[in-house]
Amino acid sequence: MTTATQFEKQATEKIADRPAKSGSQLLLESLVEQGVETIFGYPGGAIMPVYDVLPTIPQLRHILCRHEQGCGMAAIGYARATGRTGTAFATSGPGATNLITAIADAYLDSVPVVFVTGQVPSNLMGTDAFQEVDIFGMTLPVVKHSYIVRDPADIPGMVAEAYFIAAEGRPGPVLIDLPKDVANAMTTERHKWRPYPKVKPEMGQSDYISKAEALIREAQKPLFYIGGGIAQGDGVKELRDLVERTDIPVVSTLKGLGAMPSDHPQFLGMLGMHGLKAANYAVQECDLLIVAGARFDDRATGKLDTFAPHAKVIHMDIDIAEINKLRKVDVYLDGSLKKNLEALNPGRSECDDWRELCYSRRAMHEWDYEGAQAKASPGVYAPKLLHDLSRRADDSAIITCDVGQHQMWVAQHCYFDEPKDHITSGGLGTMGFGLPAGLGAKLGAPERTVITVSGDGSIMMNIQELATLFRYDIPLKIVLLDNSALGMVRQWQEVFFDKNYSETNMDDNPDFALVAKAFQIDAFTVTTADEVDVGIDRLLETDGPILMHVKIDPNENVWPLVPPGRSNADMMER
Amino acid sequence: MTQLQRDKTFEPSGVQGKLKIVLHDVSGTLIRALGTIERRGYDYRDVHCTQRVDGDFDLLVHIEDTGGPSNLDTLCKQLERLYNVVSAEKVGRRRHAERA
Ligand SMILES: Cc1ncc(C[n+]2csc(CCOP(=O)(O)OP(=O)(O)O)c2C)c(N)n1
Ligand SMILES: [Mg+2]
Repeated sequence: MTTATQFEKQATEKIADRPAKSGSQLLLESLVEQGVETIFGYPGGAIMPVYDVLPTIPQLRHILCRHEQGCGMAAIGYARATGRTGTAFATSGPGATNLITAIADAYLDSVPVVFVTGQVPSNLMGTDAFQEVDIFGMTLPVVKHSYIVRDPADIPGMVAEAYFIAAEGRPGPVLIDLPKDVANAMTTERHKWRPYPKVKPEMGQSDYISKAEALIREAQKPLFYIGGGIAQGDGVKELRDLVERTDIPVVSTLKGLGAMPSDHPQFLGMLGMHGLKAANYAVQECDLLIVAGARFDDRATGKLDTFAPHAKVIHMDIDIAEINKLRKVDVYLDGSLKKNLEALNPGRSECDDWRELCYSRRAMHEWDYEGAQAKASPGVYAPKLLHDLSRRADDSAIITCDVGQHQMWVAQHCYFDEPKDHITSGGLGTMGFGLPAGLGAKLGAPERTVITVSGDGSIMMNIQELATLFRYDIPLKIVLLDNSALGMVRQWQEVFFDKNYSETNMDDNPDFALVAKAFQIDAFTVTTADEVDVGIDRLLETDGPILMHVKIDPNENVWPLVPPGRSNADMMER
Repeated sequence: MTQLQRDKTFEPSGVQGKLKIVLHDVSGTLIRALGTIERRGYDYRDVHCTQRVDGDFDLLVHIEDTGGPSNLDTLCKQLERLYNVVSAEKVGRRRHAERA
């Protein structure tokens, strides 16, 4: 099977009566042609020609964030909530460099986003001109592909290709760097780009499918290990069918959460550094690991050579470069995850003892929310708050989060019944992601409740986006878990650095409710456990944007914890 | 040595090899491929690049790993994942000699 995966520039198509259009106009019209509706952007000198044309294209809604990093992360949130490709604009120089963290985030989490940057005019490129940086060069390691536009006639074909590349196969970010003179130049020409075929298999070879089925039938202790690829490969339904057909237990990475509903009877929880005990023990003891859309990330595996030491491995991934990258596999199935999951039909696994063991362990390590809350009283026990919040929000609610302890508590304690419900910066672990991603998600999925869970450190990294919430009246619900600390780093200092709390204390934080109010966002503070229920009600029932500021114990930690470089079997506990 | 320091130290595995990479002629083509090789943990010993009549490039590189997990098959796949890379393959000594 052949899929078109690349386009190729062809001879100039000159049509005399084609109206002359500027590069900017061609760019924006091409975006409309690609189905783009929402652009997150921030103007500046080099991209002004594009902003000059923008008001004439009513199909495009432009959201002016207050920082280019906010634009980029909002585009990621939008893409992850909708399953469509996101779009972000920035100007040259500092505008472009401000986008880089978002580009890297999209790269590491395989999110389709097209980033358009203005560039200084072509004749100044390479002269260290005002606001000139080589954004093409700077982003090479973190883009799926990138372009510098040299000729406005290339724009329609290039834009089509950019959107194609961003979304096909394993998705990722694409950068288009547009020099100002090219944006201004008028042309009647259009260069045609024709699909350039790169042969990619549609699904795994049939004999490999039979081999995989045989391994599953033989296994005494089989286990699914699933990741973010399930959602990206549109394979949620196929995965659930296969899991239920085989009746095999499942563990998930951070990014795979939601592919199985959190309360599914076969789901053991997240594995890895802050994984649940039942999940990590199952991985250590299994004799067959069926890996679907996951990539043996070190946060998931712990010390790699101690990971699933007794297991044979079946690896399914659309990205062949992931196969055998970190763990040698016994059978691999490349191509479409959806098709491979559908094709596998080994029958119900005869592993009753194993199932029993896995599920009894899960029951044994069930969280005691009431007990932990009683110990924390009168203070707020954050995991219980998150647990209660996500059960009281409607099933379709989306939670975006920032990075730190609160992010792990979200993963451990919130309920997700589809992957789009959980938007987290998994690969890059980017503080500052939660708020812009939340607003992007809400704009992409206005019918859904969107909650951002942030930390007192993280929220300060993109707090300016509260102004964007106000400007567009975006009804995002923010829960700010304030432990007056860079809690996750503080925890590591406590556990691995002899309690040397270097530069992690933030007890001089501003009054976050006051800050939100200064941005004209409704806000309130919760300090004791008995205020939590009412607080959650207010948060969920308020129509507009709202921030619930929750003071929590600075000494609370995330458990279990696998020390870095150690086996997942070595889980530390409170 | 702390655990964190230990995590960072690795021994070069001594993996060496020659790759033949065909690159499509678009901007950034060469630097994208060479950058990928270096970032994935290899040093160059020799780089030879020629443009073909069809405009594409033949890139021959002799590389050696600088440590960390290395596997030339994976590197070839990572190169082929790039949009302007038409193909990437290991070339054996003998084939190389024949070509020369
Ligand atoms: C941009 C960025 N800088 C630094 C870090 C390192 N880091 C990881 S978690 C963390 C602390 C986060 O603090 P906070 O947002 O308050 O969350 P908490 O852990 O307290 O819940 C830091 C500094 C990071 N992940 N991202
Ligand atoms: Mg904090």
